[in-house]
Amino acid sequence: MTGTKGTIVKLSLVVVAMYGFSYALVPIYDKFCEITGLNGKTNEVAYIGNDIQKDNRFVTIKFISNVANSAPLDFEPSVTEMTVQVGKAYNTHYVMKNNSSKQLHTTASPSVTPGKHAEYFKKVECFCFEQQTINAGEVKDLGIQFIIDNDLPHASGDIILSYTMFDITDSVKETNRL
Amino acid sequence: MSANIDHLKEEHHQPSGLMRWITTTNHKDIGSLYLWFSLLMFFVGGLMALIIRAELFQPGLQFVVPGFFNQMTTMHALIMIFGAVMPAFVGLANWQLPMMIGAPDMALPRLNNWSFWILPFAFTMLLSTLFFESGGPAAGWTLYPPLSLQGGNSMPFVIFSLHLLGASSILGAINVIATILNMRAPGMTLMKMPIFVWTWLITAFLLIASMPVLAGAITMLLTDRFYGTSFFTAAGGGDPVLFQHIFWFFGHPEVYILILPAFGIVSTIIPAFSRKKLFGYDSMVYATASIALLSFIVWAHHMFTVGMPLAGEIFFMFTTMLIAVPTGVKVFNWVATMWKGSMTFETPMLFALAFIILFTIGGFSGLMLAITPADFQYHDTYFVVAHFHYVLVPGAVFAIIAAVYYWLPKWTGKMYNETLGKVHFWMTTIFVNITFFPMHFVGLAGMPRRIPDYAVQFTDFNMIASVGAFGFGLSQLLFVYILFLTLKQPVTAEDKSWEGAEGLEWTLPSPAPYHSFDTPPKVE
Repeated sequence: MTGTKGTIVKLSLVVVAMYGFSYALVPIYDKFCEITGLNGKTNEVAYIGNDIQKDNRFVTIKFISNVANSAPLDFEPSVTEMTVQVGKAYNTHYVMKNNSSKQLHTTASPSVTPGKHAEYFKKVECFCFEQQTINAGEVKDLGIQFIIDNDLPHASGDIILSYTMFDITDSVKETNRL
Repeated sequence: MSANIDHLKEEHHQPSGLMRWITTTNHKDIGSLYLWFSLLMFFVGGLMALIIRAELFQPGLQFVVPGFFNQMTTMHALIMIFGAVMPAFVGLANWQLPMMIGAPDMALPRLNNWSFWILPFAFTMLLSTLFFESGGPAAGWTLYPPLSLQGGNSMPFVIFSLHLLGASSILGAINVIATILNMRAPGMTLMKMPIFVWTWLITAFLLIASMPVLAGAITMLLTDRFYGTSFFTAAGGGDPVLFQHIFWFFGHPEVYILILPAFGIVSTIIPAFSRKKLFGYDSMVYATASIALLSFIVWAHHMFTVGMPLAGEIFFMFTTMLIAVPTGVKVFNWVATMWKGSMTFETPMLFALAFIILFTIGGFSGLMLAITPADFQYHDTYFVVAHFHYVLVPGAVFAIIAAVYYWLPKWTGKMYNETLGKVHFWMTTIFVNITFFPMHFVGLAGMPRRIPDYAVQFTDFNMIASVGAFGFGLSQLLFVYILFLTLKQPVTAEDKSWEGAEGLEWTLPSPAPYHSFDTPPKVE
């Protein structure tokens, strides 16, 4: 029965390989999104270069916000629209208020629409790079500094920057306990 | 090989009663266990479908609360796919494969026992969630996050039972491949194998390649929920859409797992009752293999509306449409097999003929759904429900029923009542169309799937569908009655029960002996 044994060994290897492949799909998907600009994922670390040249073009940036899963938070942009010069750094901020009676830990997840313009939206500084801790009833300003890359294709319309704020208090507490 | 046969002979001193079934390693016993289990699950899942149809008989909430309705749609799908259709095909494979290739038994008899006995435990665990305070799973059988991550306590139970079902399928598939590749009678080359054996060989490869991906996807859900990973939770930088990609990378091969053995059954029955050889055997084999290969590159047609680059939408649209080519080859081959044949219309043939017509209707609505711009209107409507029920009920389920009628005299040595069989066929076929055809109309008119209540203009067609569903359910009680009557008779069937039947299984006596071929037959 060596034939059968050989078949079993080969097939078991396929099973293990395909299980591994399901996990390999995670980085493949991330890479794919990065190349195609799918999901409007922006840079997750601060932009520190100085290769962006000022340009005489102007684009309109719109700011929107969401709070996930009805968390007890108010979260709004301080200005909802800015017309900015391409290649020049700008500052703005969002305002968050904790409506609950306890300290909360939060994190924000950014997204740019249209997704293919996400790579030209460079963040020098952003509250989304780290988690926030906000006391009961506290109001906090959350700052962003950004530059629009002058590689941005001509004739692109408005760019929308969206943040979704998540309450992650439970998982932070769990991690601390461990 | 001889060691294997000696081992089987010893087993004539087997325990009797319940222990016989628990400890059995015989392919026929295990095949019967699979088939009975599948019939039981068919009625459990059917009962859930009737709860859904009763609630949808008219708009408004009549019988159940929306939460429970969602549990019913989720459980109905999981039970019908993993509990009814897949085990039925594995049962048929257990009964038929060794007899068709001239082997004494399956290659791995103990593993075979284990892959069956996993199932009752997995389904007990799955069904037990309905009695939880927080209820059963209600996020749909596709378990999309974030909804599935927000559900009640049922979630880990569902995932563990899916793990068990996946393990059972993988073990079964390894056994099937090991049997087919190593235990064929001398002279039976691959291209001389019966077509049912071919379709099962390819199905088994699909199972081995796709089931581990499902296991990976649901393990990621589990770690996201309980161990703080963020594969799919946006708060931690994950992406719920990623789940849909991984899930459908499994899910699309899975739908061919549910239909390829049915193609094999129909390709066996049509020639038998047309009294001609199967037209285009080679092209049938190649068509089956191409469908299997294509199934791995079309998954995103289930998620056209999720937001994909245009190039992606076009790629998945055209590859999906490409599948119609090998499927068309099959349909035309079946028609050409019947051409100028001396056909008779016994119950198995009637079910096989209805399969060809109704499965083709399901295939055409599938082509409509493949057109990306049109899919934006059809997506998540009752049109999709109509489509996949047409390919699964008059597709997979009809083929299983046809196979049972066709091989029942070989299995039991007893012939079913032909008149009752025909009554069963006509009732089933009429009611299946009354149930699912109107769903096309309400779907095109915009009725979403998975809702317990709907806008009043959909009432008439939903009432028709509900009447059909109850008729279909009752017709299947007749099927059980026919099986009961058949089993009560004395043994009278001939060895070759059908005039035009071909294949090694018909050279064995009826009922087939406990061990199929002690000495391998010679194949020309």
